[in-house]
Amino acid sequence: MEKLAVIGLSSEQGAFIEELMRLGVVQINAQESKLCDEKWNGLIQKDDAGKWVSKWEAELDRIENALILLDRFIDRKAPLIRERARISEREFDSTLEYEYEIRRQMLRLTKLSRRYSHMLLRENKAITARQALLPWQSYDIPAQDYKTQSTQVWQGVIPGMNDSADFLKILTDKTGYADAEVVHSDNEQHYISVVFYEPAAEEVQCVLRDLGFNRIALPINSGSVKEAIEELEAQLDALRDERKSIVEQVRSFESFEPTLKMYYDEIAMRKDRAVIREKFLVTDSTFYLEGWYPKIARKKVEALLLDRNCYYEITQPGKEEETPVLLLNKGIVQPFEAITKLYSLPASRGIDATPFFSFFYALFFGMMLSDAAYGIIITAGTFLIRRKYHLEGMLKQLVDMFFFCGISTTFWGLMFGSFFGDIITQVSTNFFGHAVHFPTLWFSPINDPMKLLFFSLGLGLIHVFLAMGISAYMAIRDGQPMDALFDTGFWYILILSLIGYLGGGMVEGAPAALPVVCKWLALGSALGIVATGGRQKKGIIGKIVGGLGSLYGITGYLSDVLSYSRILALGLATGVISSVFNTLGTLAGSGLMGALVMLLAFCIGHPYNIAINALGSFVHSCRLQYVEFFGRFYQGGGEGFRPFCENTKYVTILKEEL
Amino acid sequence: MNGITFDGIFFAMVGAAIAGLACCGSAMGIGIAGQAASGVVSEDPKKFGQALLLQALPGTQGIYGLLIAFVIMNKIGLLGGSGALDLTMVQGLYILASAVPVGLVGIVSGSAQGKAAAAAIMLISKRPEEVAKGMVYTAMVETYAVLALLISFLMLNSIQL
Repeated sequence: MEKLAVIGLSSEQGAFIEELMRLGVVQINAQESKLCDEKWNGLIQKDDAGKWVSKWEAELDRIENALILLDRFIDRKAPLIRERARISEREFDSTLEYEYEIRRQMLRLTKLSRRYSHMLLRENKAITARQALLPWQSYDIPAQDYKTQSTQVWQGVIPGMNDSADFLKILTDKTGYADAEVVHSDNEQHYISVVFYEPAAEEVQCVLRDLGFNRIALPINSGSVKEAIEELEAQLDALRDERKSIVEQVRSFESFEPTLKMYYDEIAMRKDRAVIREKFLVTDSTFYLEGWYPKIARKKVEALLLDRNCYYEITQPGKEEETPVLLLNKGIVQPFEAITKLYSLPASRGIDATPFFSFFYALFFGMMLSDAAYGIIITAGTFLIRRKYHLEGMLKQLVDMFFFCGISTTFWGLMFGSFFGDIITQVSTNFFGHAVHFPTLWFSPINDPMKLLFFSLGLGLIHVFLAMGISAYMAIRDGQPMDALFDTGFWYILILSLIGYLGGGMVEGAPAALPVVCKWLALGSALGIVATGGRQKKGIIGKIVGGLGSLYGITGYLSDVLSYSRILALGLATGVISSVFNTLGTLAGSGLMGALVMLLAFCIGHPYNIAINALGSFVHSCRLQYVEFFGRFYQGGGEGFRPFCENTKYVTILKEEL
Repeated sequence: MNGITFDGIFFAMVGAAIAGLACCGSAMGIGIAGQAASGVVSEDPKKFGQALLLQALPGTQGIYGLLIAFVIMNKIGLLGGSGALDLTMVQGLYILASAVPVGLVGIVSGSAQGKAAAAAIMLISKRPEEVAKGMVYTAMVETYAVLALLISFLMLNSIQL
C-alpha cells in the first residue's frame, strides 16, 4: 500500500471522480482531522454533496420499489446462483442515453404500485364490510325505513350465551312500545332487530341496556342488507379485475427489467460519487484528497492524475501506521484466500498465511473425505458450476477451492482404495458371486489404522513446524533474530531430539548412539528454553518461573499434534459409513429385489454421506488451520481494502481496453 | 446361570448397543440447535441454509457411534454370511469396554455441541458473515468426540479374536 495526497482543480473534479471510480483502485480516506487542524481549517472546507446524496437515494428507493413490484408479479424460477449480468461499457452507456424514457417508465411502474396497494386497501375494506353484513343476510327491512315519522328500528347484538327467547319476552313485558325479532344466531351472538315507538325511545333504550343489548350501525344507506351485500360483491369483483389488470400491466414490463436494473446501477454509482465527495476537501477553485492504493497499481493511478492535471504526492506508510489490507495471491492458492478471509484479514504488518496453508488445507480435506468417487463428484460439480455461471468474489473462491479439494479427495481415495466405500466389492460379491476389489494404491486405513494415525501426526508435526518457522521468520524480519532462535530454534531441537530419543530405539539399523545424542540435545535445548523463556520478566525468580512456564508449553505442542488424529477419525467415518450403506444394500440378497434395495441404499446413503462428511472435512480442515496453524504466528484484525469503484448490484460493466 | 448363558457374543452386542447410544447425544444436540435455528429463521428465512449447516454439526457423534457399532458387528461376524464367531466371555467383555468411550462421550459431547451450535446460530442471526467462526467454535467441542472415537476404534482394533 502506498499513500496518496492529491490537489486538483475544481473544474476537473467531476471528471476526475468519474475516472477514479472507473479505475477502482484507490481507497479514499475521510479527512475529519484536517478540518480540525488549525493550519488547514481557515483554508479549506468539506465538499458538500448532501443534496445530491439525498436526491439519488430517493431515486434509488423508487427504482427499488419498481424492481420489487416486477419481481413479485413476474413468475419465474429463482436462479440457483444469483449472478450479475455482464454488459459491455458501450451497451451500458447507450442504454442509459435514454435515461428520460427509462425514468418515465419507472414512474409508471411506481404509479401502478401505488394503485395496486390502493386497490388492495379498498378490497380489504369491502371484505370487512361484507363480513359485518353477512349475519344480517335475511334481514329485509330496507335502510331508508330504519327511521320513520314515529318509529325507529335499531339493530344490535346480545351475547350468545343469553337466551334470545327470554330477551324477547322480557322486552315486551317491560315496555309496551317495542317489538323485537331475532334475525340470526351464531355461537357468539344473537343478531336482533328492535322496532319501537319514537316518543318512548328513552324508556325502551333503558330496558335494552339492562338486557345487554349492544347497538350496531349497519354500514348501508338504502335498500336491504341482501342488496348491499350483492353490491359489495360486485364491487369486490371489479376491484379484483382491476388488480388483475394492474398485474398484467406490470408483467408487460418484463422486458424492461434489465434496463431498469442498469438504471439502478447507474444511479447507485452517481450516489457513490456524491458520497465520496464528502471525503474531499475543497477551496474555491481546488480540491484535495488523500487515499491508499496498492503498489502494483501505481502506474495507472499516476497516469490518471497527470491526465487530469493534478498535483500529487506519494508517501510510504509509516512504521506504526495501519494500512488497509488487500490479499494478493496468484494462481492455485488464490481461491484459498476465502479461508483466510473467513478467519480474519491479516493485520497490516502481519503475514498473509494463504500461500502456506493452501496445500495443507487441500491435503487434509482430501484425507478426511478420502473417497475417489466423492472426489470426482465434487471436482466435476464445481467444474460445471464454474463453466455455467460467472461467479464473483467469495463464492467464486470457495467453488474453486472445493475443486482443488475434490482433486485431493480423489487422490486419497485412490491411495486408500475407496470408491463409494467398498461398493465394488459388495456388488461383485453379492450379485456376481466373486469379489472384485477396487485397487488400493497404498493401504487401507480400516485395516491398518495405526499407520494412518502416525502418518497424520507426522503431517501435523510438519504443519506445526511450518507455522513456527513463519513465526521465526517474522521475528527475524522485525530485527529480532535471537527471539527466533529462543522461541522457535530451541523448540525445533527439543521436539526433534525427543522424537529421536523416544523413537530412535524402535527403528532398526539406526546408529546406537542416536538415542544418547538425542538425549543430550533434548536436555540442552530444554535448558535453553528454561533459560530464555522468561527473558522479558523482571527479577531472577520471575525469569526462572517464566522459563519453566515456557517449557511447560510442551503440552501445547503435544495436544496440537495429537489434534491431527482427527484426520484418521474423519477418514474412517467416511469409509465406514459408506460401507454401512453398501452392506444395507446387500441385505436383500441378489436378484431384482436385491438390485432395487441396493439402488435405494445407494441413492439415499451416498448423497447423505457426501453432504455430512464434506461438511465435516471442511469444518475440521478449517479448524486445523485456524487453531493449530494460525495460532502460532498469525496476527489478524486487518481492515479490508475498500477501493472507490463501480460497486454495482445487478450488472458487471466490462471494460473495453482502448 | 439359571439356564441363561452370557457368552462373548452377548457382551459384544451390548458393546455395540452402548456405542449406538452416542446417537442420544446427537439427537439432543441437533434438537437444541434446531430450536435456535427455527427462532432465527422466523426472523429471516434467508438464513435457513446457514442455520442448517450449523444444526448438522452435532450429528457426527451419532455417526461415530454407528461406526463403532458397525465395526463391532463386523468383527464378531454378525454381518458377514458366515455367521457369528465363537467368542469367549473375556473377549466379549473387551469389546464391550472398547465401546464405552464413544457411547458415553457421544452423549455428553453431542448435547454440549448442540448448545455451542445454538449459540453459533444466534451469532449468524446478527452477523451472518461470521458463520465460519461459529462453525469453528462448534467444531472445537467435537474434538473430544473424535478422540473418543479414536480410543474406541484403536481398542477394538487391538483385540485379537
